[in-house]
Amino acid sequence: MSFTNALQLLISGIAVGAIYTLTAKGLFIAHLATHRLNFGQGDFLMVGAYLSLGLLLAGVPAPLVLLAVLAAMAILGWGLERVAIRPLDRAGDQTGGYAWVLTTAGCALILQNVVELVWGKSAQYAPPIFSATRNNVVRIGEVGIFVEELAIILVAFLAVTAFYVFLFRTRWGKAIYAVAFNPEAAALLGVNVKGTVILVFVLASMLAGISGFLVGPLVSVQPHMGLVFTIKAFAVASIGGFSNPLGLLAGGLLFGIAEAYSNYFDSAFGDLYPLIAVLILLAFRPTGLFGTRAADVR
Amino acid sequence: MSADTRLRLVGYAAAALLIVLLPSLAPNPFYVHLGQIYAYTAIAVIGLNILLGLSGQMSLGHGGFYAIGCYATAILATTLGWPIGLTALAGLLLTLLAGLAVGMVALRTRGLYLAMATLAFGFIVEILAQRWVGLTGGTMGLMAIPQIDFGNFAMGPTYFFWVAAGLLLLCQIGSDYLFGSATGRRLRAIKESEAFAQTVGLNVPAWRIGIFAASAVFAGLAGILFAHQSGFVSSDAFNIRLTIGLLIAAVIGGLGNSWGPLLGTAVLLGLTETIASLHQYGPMIYGSILLAVLLLVPEGLVGLFRRLAGKRRQDAAVETAPARPAYEIESAQPRDLVVEGLSKNYAGVSALTTVSLSIAPGQVHALIGPNGAGKSTFINVVAGLYRPSAGRILLGGEDVTALAAHQRARLGLVRTFQNLQLIGGVDVLANVMLGMRARDGIVTDVARWFTGRGHEAGEREEALAILELVGLGPYAHHLPKDLAYGHRKLVELARAIAQRPSVLLLDEPVAGLNPLEAQAIAGIVRRLKEAGITVLVVEHNMDFVMGIADTITVLDFGHAIAAGLPAAIQADPAVLRAYLGQETQAA
Repeated sequence: MSFTNALQLLISGIAVGAIYTLTAKGLFIAHLATHRLNFGQGDFLMVGAYLSLGLLLAGVPAPLVLLAVLAAMAILGWGLERVAIRPLDRAGDQTGGYAWVLTTAGCALILQNVVELVWGKSAQYAPPIFSATRNNVVRIGEVGIFVEELAIILVAFLAVTAFYVFLFRTRWGKAIYAVAFNPEAAALLGVNVKGTVILVFVLASMLAGISGFLVGPLVSVQPHMGLVFTIKAFAVASIGGFSNPLGLLAGGLLFGIAEAYSNYFDSAFGDLYPLIAVLILLAFRPTGLFGTRAADVR
Repeated sequence: MSADTRLRLVGYAAAALLIVLLPSLAPNPFYVHLGQIYAYTAIAVIGLNILLGLSGQMSLGHGGFYAIGCYATAILATTLGWPIGLTALAGLLLTLLAGLAVGMVALRTRGLYLAMATLAFGFIVEILAQRWVGLTGGTMGLMAIPQIDFGNFAMGPTYFFWVAAGLLLLCQIGSDYLFGSATGRRLRAIKESEAFAQTVGLNVPAWRIGIFAASAVFAGLAGILFAHQSGFVSSDAFNIRLTIGLLIAAVIGGLGNSWGPLLGTAVLLGLTETIASLHQYGPMIYGSILLAVLLLVPEGLVGLFRRLAGKRRQDAAVETAPARPAYEIESAQPRDLVVEGLSKNYAGVSALTTVSLSIAPGQVHALIGPNGAGKSTFINVVAGLYRPSAGRILLGGEDVTALAAHQRARLGLVRTFQNLQLIGGVDVLANVMLGMRARDGIVTDVARWFTGRGHEAGEREEALAILELVGLGPYAHHLPKDLAYGHRKLVELARAIAQRPSVLLLDEPVAGLNPLEAQAIAGIVRRLKEAGITVLVVEHNMDFVMGIADTITVLDFGHAIAAGLPAAIQADPAVLRAYLGQETQAA
């Protein structure tokens, strides 16, 4: 592998890794506040990708497309909380603590089916967002780098930064941490717990939406693409330990880069190696590289 | 023989009869074909129900085990030409190994992580099945896999049905045994809380990995049967929908109920057949069913029938055998408890600093102190749930510091919990029996369970006697949640007594109880003491403590600030300072 190749793979890896990070942030924030999350996070990404693909093809300018996708995904996230999460509190624990896994997966199946009925089963290619063609390249010395990838990295990092600012610098972010610590105590302190829970699912869904918007130019878009992204976002969140938002960023980039290189060396099964590595990591460090473990003692 | 056992045996006989007759009763071969699919699918669902419903572990990757069993037997049969019996065995062995490997991850992970790990496992198997074309044939598939027809091609489908349905009946009996035996009780305890399960002597990791692997083998068996049903296997059969279908069947039937999978699989197959013509809406229908069942009837069909049939039948016949001799509390073996220089640090905060105490058999020692003094930490370190940072714990002279919680429990170090730990799904009697060691070997136990004659009779008698001792005789068949708080505390105490403790750690035994109930507990503690049991009690209720304690240690900010006889402790200025938070004025 030449140096040029290595650098190009690195950039591709960072671009994909940034998207995994964004998707995984949605899992992280929902899990932080509610100990539940959307098992269809990848399918929400898929919906975001189709929405932006449809709007871009209709000639809507990219910034407007992003805004529209964010708005639509916010509504979808709100709906998910109402349909698949909140009613579970009434049902009690007859299905154990994992009913939310199945209800959110159920919603994902419904979304997949709707997308299939609207856009068909076959794979589609989103137009480039930031440049005239998919293969626009900037030259830095000897190395050619896709403009599209650079722009995706830029936007993704802006989104990640905005997310951190929101989480650590705003009242809402503090409310989320308060609910995460203890919902009842948070309620007594005047935090709107129900509203916060809705907020985290809306945010999670919007993060999936941005990811879907950005991922369009990188991969082919098809109705069943969601599962792969759910699994990879999970892997990333697990590396980060689900408790450490900065670990998530490191985990996402690590995973994206590892995947880019392993795909280069083994085009048939390259995407499996990073996943297997994460599984083995989990067996030895169950809370990821950056998480801390709390003992189960009552 | 109880009514339940009779019903069960009649059920088995009727099922066997139906299996034998179905091929001749079926109006056309399609029904036999459906029966085949039903049989092996239900086997996989039974495995999932044991995992989710009984042990509380999640799997989103059971389709992977199904695929592994299927490909193992198919590939061995087609390429090496081994006989089916041998390839099937190899398939089972391979799924067992895969189950143990994934179980290793399951062992270290909980809930969400486990769901993710199993989802990834299923995905990896699916991808391998698709892309490793040289081995699996990919989407084009493997053809000419031998079928189970015992050389008679015309009768093949009937023979296959008999084999698959016969195996299903065996699996159902196995599942019924799991649910109805001590094994099921223990799995429920692990589901409730692992810390709790350890303190009744269960090696939780071994149980968890064992049940995960067993559940994987059920799925593998289903896959093996699938391979030999049609003689053709392609990777399309093993996508995530397979796992979701199995989960839907388990949920519809009712998780945690042994009969749930039979019902759930029937509904799933009915649905699949009905919506075959609406295939473009398939995922939507599946998703809606998942939502509807989980939100509207989370207890599943079995639970729904129970609800419709009126309140769950209470066993009216409370076993009040008049001639039951009163229970004699026994210490397995009197042992003293010695703690030397125990320290525990949490990331720089020291919760305990070189605390020592020693309690002789037949003595009650109380550990008191203000909130945050380190009492709970102390009890958790002694019980083995936390590792000490320094110090030694000796049980009857034997150093147990390095032993795990369940090993200490087996040596007679028994505890109760401040926050009650009882198994919600089974009655009070079964909760008490959880503390006991099995008396019959596995073969005797299975035989007695199957015939319903004298199954766990000795354990039941003893548990009932203990319940009478603590005054809960009439409540033996109630569920813990139907009992008053004070009674539930007594159930926990009864379970601890059933463990035949040498040393008993009581964590706030009378917190939240009224004075009358506290007196009852004090009475029981005195009897434990008379039986030679070493008792360490952590408690805030000073009337209670002063009434039963022989000696007292006072903790404050992790330091033992006083130790001695109750009267001396009451007068100790350091203790008064710790509790009142200021210098006390000399009177």
